[in-house]
Amino acid sequence: MDWFTKLVEEFEVAFIVDNRWKYIVSGIGSTLLLTFLSLVLGVVIGIVIAAVRSTYDKQYTDMRAGIGKTLLNIGNGFCKCYLTIFRGTPVMVQILIIFFVIMASSRNKMLCGVVAFGLNSAAYVAEIIRGGIMSIDPGQTEAGRSLGLNYVQTMAYIVLPQAFKNILPALANEFITLLKETSVAGYVGVTDLTRGANIIRGITYQSFWPLFAIAAIYLAMVMFFTWLVGKLERRLKNSER
Amino acid sequence: MNANKNEILISVRDLKKYYKGDKIKALDGISNDIRRGEVVCIIGPSGSGKSTFLRSLNLLEVPTGGTINFAGQILTDRKTDINLCRQKMGMVFQHFNLFPHMTVMRNMTLAPMKLLGKTQEEAESRAMQLLTRVGLADRAQSYPSQLSGGQKQRIAIVRAMAMDPDVILFDEPTSALDPEMVGEVLDLMKALAEDGMTMVIVTHEMGFAREVADRIIFVDGGKIVEEGTPEEFFTNPKNPRLKDFLSKVL
Ligand SMILES: Nc1ncnc2c1ncn2[C@@H]1O[C@H](COP(=O)(O)OP(=O)(O)OP(=O)(O)O)[C@@H](O)[C@H]1O
Ligand SMILES: [Mg+2]
Repeated sequence: MDWFTKLVEEFEVAFIVDNRWKYIVSGIGSTLLLTFLSLVLGVVIGIVIAAVRSTYDKQYTDMRAGIGKTLLNIGNGFCKCYLTIFRGTPVMVQILIIFFVIMASSRNKMLCGVVAFGLNSAAYVAEIIRGGIMSIDPGQTEAGRSLGLNYVQTMAYIVLPQAFKNILPALANEFITLLKETSVAGYVGVTDLTRGANIIRGITYQSFWPLFAIAAIYLAMVMFFTWLVGKLERRLKNSER
Repeated sequence: MNANKNEILISVRDLKKYYKGDKIKALDGISNDIRRGEVVCIIGPSGSGKSTFLRSLNLLEVPTGGTINFAGQILTDRKTDINLCRQKMGMVFQHFNLFPHMTVMRNMTLAPMKLLGKTQEEAESRAMQLLTRVGLADRAQSYPSQLSGGQKQRIAIVRAMAMDPDVILFDEPTSALDPEMVGEVLDLMKALAEDGMTMVIVTHEMGFAREVADRIIFVDGGKIVEEGTPEEFFTNPKNPRLKDFLSKVL
């Protein structure tokens, strides 16, 4: 039973001595916070991009030439570039650029992390939302417009609420993806869960417990949120027309 | 309202709508005047441009050329506030297009509250009044999915009426309904017509057109081929294409 005693000793060193478990607990908090805020930023930017892109798709051919049409054209081009760049380069490279070039002067690592992951996530969320908008029957828009609602009102009261219901599961899955992706944030100084384990490794010179512990924690969180998404999907299906 | 019975409400001149450059001429120069209180039925073969014409009237389709004058406003002029004009032009669709995420009540109060500045109480009491009229007051808190096709279409009609429009445009309002539900919708439309509502109706219901229309327009190939009172139209059609069409549908 020598190895067992050793394992228990190592566990004590890793988590109990000097209250090192606190690195893990505060890491969980940071990871969840980073994931949540990044998704919020991603959704906000994603809505803007999706709005520009789907307005372009739906309205452009019918629009009369003028400043509005030109702006929409430029906006759409910009959004397409954004999507291409953020989906075509590795997340880690984007994060390094944001931390060491664009926001190099910022002390707030969490903020940098939210900006980096939020901008990245927006590129994916935008296409999810656009798909949701496009999936709504054009008759809904026509009904809204025929009552006299303008384009923005029709979007806000009629199209987006229905689109959001359709895409909620996809958004929740994006949250889960993001939860795992943020594990690289530690390399640029965010004290997230993975970083918590690495700090313990640095102090104790042992890897077994910290790494398996965070693996188990990530897995538990992912399984929990997956379960939650499943429940949500079933709820939405039941309230279906 | 009766004082203006002969006032021209919608005046269409040389309306054109082309698709794919000018390969498809869905509307090929249509001119017509629609008077206040008039019930105009539009008939014609499939693909003749009936829907395109109707949908051009409130600019759901942007015309390629021509002008539409609605109550003194040139709709085809880009300076005209089309949203403001649409408030006065109701539209009823083949597939109802009720908002599925809203109750019947909310379907009917959304636009009056957002656009006419009505309070919730005002909008709801007007909606209740209309719902009572069509015998659906007990469905106010239902969602569209809980209604039959005929009920949905009647709701769609009163949703349009909640804006107190000057005209209602109907695009084949009974074509998506089970046969046993067609009657209830046509009855409601008949009642509206008797109340003096201006109505432009694309329909395949010849019996209805004959009974309710003040004037019937036969469209073919994006043009008005013949128009007249139901009398003239059904008893003495002149154009060979109309004769052919009527022999098929009657
Ligand atoms: N978006 C579009 N792009 C290309 N062609 C179109 C479009 N919309 C309509 N058309 C064409 O314009 C013509 C008129 O169409 P429209 O829908 O007005 O006919 P309709 O008389 O309403 O027919 P139906 O009785 O089948 O409803 C048709 O030839 C149709 O194929
Ligand atoms: Mg049609």
